[in-house]
Amino acid sequence: MSLGAGGYMKRILSLILCIAVSISLFSLTGCGAATSRGAQIGIVTDVGELMDKGFNQGTYEGVKAYAEANGKTFKYYQPANGNNASDNDRVAAMRQAINNGAEIICINGFLQAAAIETVASEFPDVKIIFVDGWVMKDHPNVTAITYKEHESSYLAGYAAVKEGYTKLGGTFGGGGSHPPCNRFGYGFVQGADAAAREMNKQITINYSYKFGDTFSASSELQTQIAGWYSQGCEVVFCAGGSMFDSVKSAAAEYPNAKIIGVDVDQSKESDRVITSATKGLKESIVRVLTDYYAGKWDSSLSLKEQNLGAAENAVGLPTDTWSLKNFTVEEYQDLFNKIKNGIIVPKSDVPENGNNAAWLEKGLTNTTIRFE
Amino acid sequence: MNNMAFLIQKTLIYSIPLLIVAMAGMISERSGIINIALDGMMIFGSFLGAEVVYMLQDAGILSGNPQVVFLLAMLAAAVAGALFSLLLAFSAINLKADQTIGGTALNLLAPAAAHFFIKVLYMQDKLVMPKDIGFVILNENIPEFMKPFFDKAYISTYIAIFIFVVLSIILYKTRFGLRLRACGEHPQAADSVGINVYKMRYIGVMLSGALGGLGGYIYIATVAGGTCNADVAGTGFLALAIMIFGNWKPGGIVVGSLLFGLLKCLSSTYTSLDLNGDGIAILKDLPLPMYFYNIVPYIVVLIVLILTSKNSRAPKAEGIPYDKGAR
Repeated sequence: MSLGAGGYMKRILSLILCIAVSISLFSLTGCGAATSRGAQIGIVTDVGELMDKGFNQGTYEGVKAYAEANGKTFKYYQPANGNNASDNDRVAAMRQAINNGAEIICINGFLQAAAIETVASEFPDVKIIFVDGWVMKDHPNVTAITYKEHESSYLAGYAAVKEGYTKLGGTFGGGGSHPPCNRFGYGFVQGADAAAREMNKQITINYSYKFGDTFSASSELQTQIAGWYSQGCEVVFCAGGSMFDSVKSAAAEYPNAKIIGVDVDQSKESDRVITSATKGLKESIVRVLTDYYAGKWDSSLSLKEQNLGAAENAVGLPTDTWSLKNFTVEEYQDLFNKIKNGIIVPKSDVPENGNNAAWLEKGLTNTTIRFE
Repeated sequence: MNNMAFLIQKTLIYSIPLLIVAMAGMISERSGIINIALDGMMIFGSFLGAEVVYMLQDAGILSGNPQVVFLLAMLAAAVAGALFSLLLAFSAINLKADQTIGGTALNLLAPAAAHFFIKVLYMQDKLVMPKDIGFVILNENIPEFMKPFFDKAYISTYIAIFIFVVLSIILYKTRFGLRLRACGEHPQAADSVGINVYKMRYIGVMLSGALGGLGGYIYIATVAGGTCNADVAGTGFLALAIMIFGNWKPGGIVVGSLLFGLLKCLSSTYTSLDLNGDGIAILKDLPLPMYFYNIVPYIVVLIVLILTSKNSRAPKAEGIPYDKGAR
């Protein structure tokens, strides 16, 4: 019987342990539920970093702005392997977002298309906003936001030449096969040429996709751009995420070197930024999220593409922070309204592979393209 | 600005980190320890240097003296490199471990550690400086021929050249230098006349680590635009190749790093390079793809190494752990 007493003790102990374990399990699942409720909006980023001062950051800030104003919670996910992320890495990031309770995911960058197809059919109840993408006819849970980048950069190119610059440069990401970057480049060239024609001047534009394949900064890019500046190039338009850092460093070497930023207002990043060809990432994402939470998914978002341009006030130059002196805000507004009302229509027919000068030079009268 | 001056200027900027790091490798190998961890030491040093700059700039300390910040960062990078190299010294000298494997371990450790700390501390993949470091001299109004050295120059360039000269003198003109070299050629003989081989080798490796770390930060600050992403694009290995090309001698190392710096510079500027000023970029008009120019520096190093390998003369005792009992 003395053994029996020990047996009781053991049973009581094991009972206590059982209770303790089950309580901790419950509290753990409680925790899990709380966090899953805690990330209703997911963001899956494109190549480059989250805080790239451009594309990813604009998307992030849009979600953040909406979530904070409306009491929603959000979380961002970066696919593994950074710039070499595979479709599997992207799918994994999206699944992770959904497992954490995301009901709508904001995914930017056309590179993620294949991963979106997979996830959209796997989770038909989760809504996906595909920024810089397209609608997928088999997936009613996907909506797309695209921008008329060529309108934004048309304004920037026009403004730069009207300001008095005649030696321009442009470096673009994606190696010539990234449609938004190509549209940025195309519009820039057209805008600059239009202004040169009005002023009856000849201008040159250095145009390059070199060293921009992965949208990242590199010493090679910095040296290349420094070379342009040393040859008298006055202002360089940089459309490619973190590539901006290289252009900024190159400009720092030359007292008069200027930069035109992209995607978001980059005037805070460097005092050399004279203006930025922006697209309203933040505003358009807030808009789509507002529609979604107002219950308008089926009526206005599903299977529909939001192609936003000057007409929607989704592209343009931030006039408050620009440092242009000869080109006035009135002139800008005038040009902006012409684009908005369709009086001027910048061309946007970019080729699949734009890594050559032929398509850019079509229809230019006062511009020499130096393609590298 | 004149194209030639631009080319020389940029060549110098690419060459200086290579020069310093190749010297780092030379010092270590001359003392008898193979140091293939140059890349790792650069990365570790560059991370600590960038960290110091970030903290100082973030806190607004010394904001009026960017050059002082730069100097402090270089010092921090050198100290970090020296401490990091203790790992190699301990394993290679005290534990008599294989030096190549020890060095490889350091090369694997450094980028991982730097990435880890950047992620943990800043939630980023890379550490971007809040402000530019800036040039020590920015002078547009000097005669053309002086521009390569006195316009848009970094303070690190002068310091690196100074260190190079001092080290060369120490190595060849002082008693310490002779002893260090003796430990790399015939440590038993050195020991027999009362030189502490372990101590000399420790000094060699730590000097090497300090220079490696310094070179790493200089690379980050001047070539990579001040951003630390736990990567120096294989500069440490290139420096190793340049050291071999230079036959473990300072003079050869200078030639090697200038040659490579020039080719590297050409590969990113050839499209707009117009040396004689007639408005025609000669290299661009050649029917070669851009990738050709990108690989040229590496191909040339390979070819030069093949051609010079017959005459290459490594320190005799390098790679062999010193064992007192085997005398």
